[in-house]
Amino acid sequence: MISYLLRRILVSLLVLIGISIVIFVMLHLISDSPGRVVLGPQASAAAVEAFNRENGFDRPLFAQYVDYVVQLLHGDFGRSYKLNEEVSVLFAQNAGRSAVLSLSGLVLALLIAIPLGILQAVRRNTVVDRAATGIAYLLYATPSFLVALLLIALLSQLVPLFPAEASQSTSPWVVFTDPRAMALPLITLALTNVVVFSQYQRSAALEQLGMDYIKVARAKGAPERIVLMRHLLRNACIPLITLVGVMIPTLLAGNLIVESVFNYPGLGLLFLNSLHREDYPVLLAYTLIGGALTVLGNLLADLVVARADRRIELSR
Amino acid sequence: MLTIRDLSVEIRTGERTVRPITGVDLDLARGETLGIVGETGSGKSMTGLSIMGMLPGGSTITSGSIRFDGQELTGMEPHAYRTLRGRRISMVFQDSLTALNPTKRVGDQVAEPLLLHGLARRSEALRRAEEMLALVGIPRPSERMRDYPHQLSGGMRQRVMIAMALIAEPDLLIADEPTTALDVTIQAEILDLLARLKEQLGMAMILVTHDMGVVARHADRVGVMYAGRLVETGPTRSLFRSTRHRYTRALLDSIPSLEQDRGVELFSIPGSPPDPAEATPGCRFAPRCAAATELCRTERPPLDGEGGHVFACWNPVAGATAVPQGRALPLSPAAATSAEHRLEVIDLVQEHPASGWAPKGRRRTVKAVSGVSFAVRAGETLGLVGESGCGKSSLGRMLVAMDRPTAGEVRLEGAKVSGVRRRELGARRAKLQMMFQDSGAALDPKMTIGTILREPLAIQDVGTAAERTERAIALLDSVGLGPSIMQRYPHELSGGQRQRIGLARALALDPDVLVADEPVSALDVSIRSQVLNLMRTQQRERGLSSVVISHDLSVIRYLSDRVGVMYLGKIVELGATDDVYERPAHPYTAGLLAAVPVADPEAPAPEGVERVRGELPSPLDPPSGCRFRTRCPLATELCATVEPLLESVGTGHDVACHFPLQPKVGEAADARTTGAGADRTETEAAA
Repeated sequence: MISYLLRRILVSLLVLIGISIVIFVMLHLISDSPGRVVLGPQASAAAVEAFNRENGFDRPLFAQYVDYVVQLLHGDFGRSYKLNEEVSVLFAQNAGRSAVLSLSGLVLALLIAIPLGILQAVRRNTVVDRAATGIAYLLYATPSFLVALLLIALLSQLVPLFPAEASQSTSPWVVFTDPRAMALPLITLALTNVVVFSQYQRSAALEQLGMDYIKVARAKGAPERIVLMRHLLRNACIPLITLVGVMIPTLLAGNLIVESVFNYPGLGLLFLNSLHREDYPVLLAYTLIGGALTVLGNLLADLVVARADRRIELSR
Repeated sequence: MLTIRDLSVEIRTGERTVRPITGVDLDLARGETLGIVGETGSGKSMTGLSIMGMLPGGSTITSGSIRFDGQELTGMEPHAYRTLRGRRISMVFQDSLTALNPTKRVGDQVAEPLLLHGLARRSEALRRAEEMLALVGIPRPSERMRDYPHQLSGGMRQRVMIAMALIAEPDLLIADEPTTALDVTIQAEILDLLARLKEQLGMAMILVTHDMGVVARHADRVGVMYAGRLVETGPTRSLFRSTRHRYTRALLDSIPSLEQDRGVELFSIPGSPPDPAEATPGCRFAPRCAAATELCRTERPPLDGEGGHVFACWNPVAGATAVPQGRALPLSPAAATSAEHRLEVIDLVQEHPASGWAPKGRRRTVKAVSGVSFAVRAGETLGLVGESGCGKSSLGRMLVAMDRPTAGEVRLEGAKVSGVRRRELGARRAKLQMMFQDSGAALDPKMTIGTILREPLAIQDVGTAAERTERAIALLDSVGLGPSIMQRYPHELSGGQRQRIGLARALALDPDVLVADEPVSALDVSIRSQVLNLMRTQQRERGLSSVVISHDLSVIRYLSDRVGVMYLGKIVELGATDDVYERPAHPYTAGLLAAVPVADPEAPAPEGVERVRGELPSPLDPPSGCRFRTRCPLATELCATVEPLLESVGTGHDVACHFPLQPKVGEAADARTTGAGADRTETEAAA
């Protein structure tokens, strides 16, 4: 177990190094003169050159990369070109808010999708099942910003239940302290995930319902509620764990849209604004964190699946 | 205790209405075992599920009654039904791998019925579960309680299933194919266990099976089902001795037994069972029955008879008639007498790393095949028999170069097959063909039969497109199918037809060697004999050398000229079929033969032969010395230290045993057939 973990972490580190090289090179190709970006189009060529030399941006790409990695190892993500602030400080300010919003959206989605998927499987090919599948596909095909806009039109304009803008509070726990103001972003996030999870859960539950152990549970005299809760639920959730693990980094991307539509100050909004401002150190850090989350999500999912299903041996 | 009258079930799916059971009558007394025998789709399992009130979705009981201990079960309140299920009526299912919840501990699963019915508190239920595990013969039950199902072997899982079904001490146990997924040696143990527990707990049992041999020994009464109807039922002895229904008779005649004359074609029932969606006015067996008259086709025969032995047949078999004599089928063609070795296997070894990760040096290997040598002459058929996990399928795959051996070689007409270059192998493959067990999976579902049969010819660049089609039609003809089937897809065919296509495809390139891996184990009895006869005919007509791999001793006996018995990656006995079956020299062979269920309730239990007991050891680290010693009644110190080599006990009959059941010829080991392979594995085992 420990040797497995060590190996996985080692491999993860290699993957992260790979990701960082690719991103670093790509960003450098897009903009090889940070001085121009920082000082603006009006600055003289000499000033730009002086800035680049002063900050080491005229050195070979490889040397710049090594510098960056050394910085990273000291927990230093560099300094934002535009916001006059350390990237790590910017992230510390925004990450909590994004994480709480994402995770509550994820949990909410699972709480809806798991029972819904199982219900659809148990009542397969009935009106309920068909309607749920139809709606799921419709929503799946709808871009999430459109879902967000529709929700605003419906639940904020037509029936003024919730505000159209998210809370501007700086507290990461605003989802819980001011749920009314956070309702629409949360619903948007949950909805877009529910449609994927519930269809996945439906097919997993259908497969498990066909297994003999379900028949055996009934043959023991178990009422349907116990058959589903005690026997089906756990087995039918295992495939979903892997999916959730893979989806963790996409939550970050989901936030991008939700945070910008609802103007919620989090990592996503920071990324979007940095993109407009060509603030490369921020973009670089954001992408790296995405990569780290991908690797971490997969590792976590594998560990949880192996824990839930003893037939799976952790290998390779 | 249980009375079923005129039970009919319907399944509606859209426009189609299928009637899996029509007008079934059954009776079961306390303490009695009723065997329900039938093929796939005969309605035997549905009958069991109807009693449990667990018919699959979409199906309903349309008429009839099921009375259990004075209570009417049809139309019973779901809540009331639940109090019966698992407590008074229990069920054991076939596939213990999917029948146990993979993510729950064995102990909890066994104890669950007690908790569900409020018969005990948790700690008490767990204690009873442990007792129950001990009762069904699970060694060290307290340790097994915390295991998950996948950690147990198939036989052990089936015991757990039985423990689970019996923990609430039901009055009626329905066992649906309880041993079908198991090896013969384990099957015999499980059936004996069920019979013993039935006595001990004083319950009644319904044994649902496709195997006439299983009911012959273990049922008091037998009901035979065909296409949703009960066609004959009676006391076991009477039903087997004076069989009356034409279907029962035909079924019994088409089972290859260990005694029948191998020189005569096996009796087979023509055609295949009817579509359950079709309603016919007459006897459902009429289209396949040789004695059918106009009456049979127009009017349904009533169940009639005396002394509890009733049957539904207009033209019943009168008295004990002789088995209809089939065509003579010479055992091996003249070519087999030639000394030429067409296929030669020399010291073949296959080892692959076990799943799971381990540090280098401690990485364990599965020893699937450990030094096997044999030769197959032109026109000869060699049968390889053994329990699951003995390495016979791994060996088969190496024979046709689908897998590479770890060591040793396969030679075709003296030229190496293993370890040659890709292009050369491609050409040589044409001469080595394989027929698979599950043709449903071995035929590409997106290809028509025509494409499937032409593909090997196209790959090997044989003839023009028109010639290939012509060849495909000829192939279909030789396996008894018409050319109209060319346009169809595999899923549109029946299992028997698919298996014929599997054979036709293997024969398409006119191979020299055909390897058939469990060619008939997925087929029903009435279809099985058709395919077996076809294989015999084709082998003989084409002068094929074949290797037939099966766990079924009767199938191997019917098809093979010589037999090799495999145990844990090694051949323990090799000889002419009649020699091996009549004078088995290895205790394992003798044990296997003794465990085969015989479709004759009056056959004496084999005497003087110890059954093979216990479980197959892990191929990860096979026992030292003789690999069979852990299950052998004759094993001594010697067997644990020195590996026995193949030695002759008669002309062409070799056995690897220190204490063979037949006297050895001379004392000198036959060095030619054993040789280095055995020596090397011995040193390996020591290392």
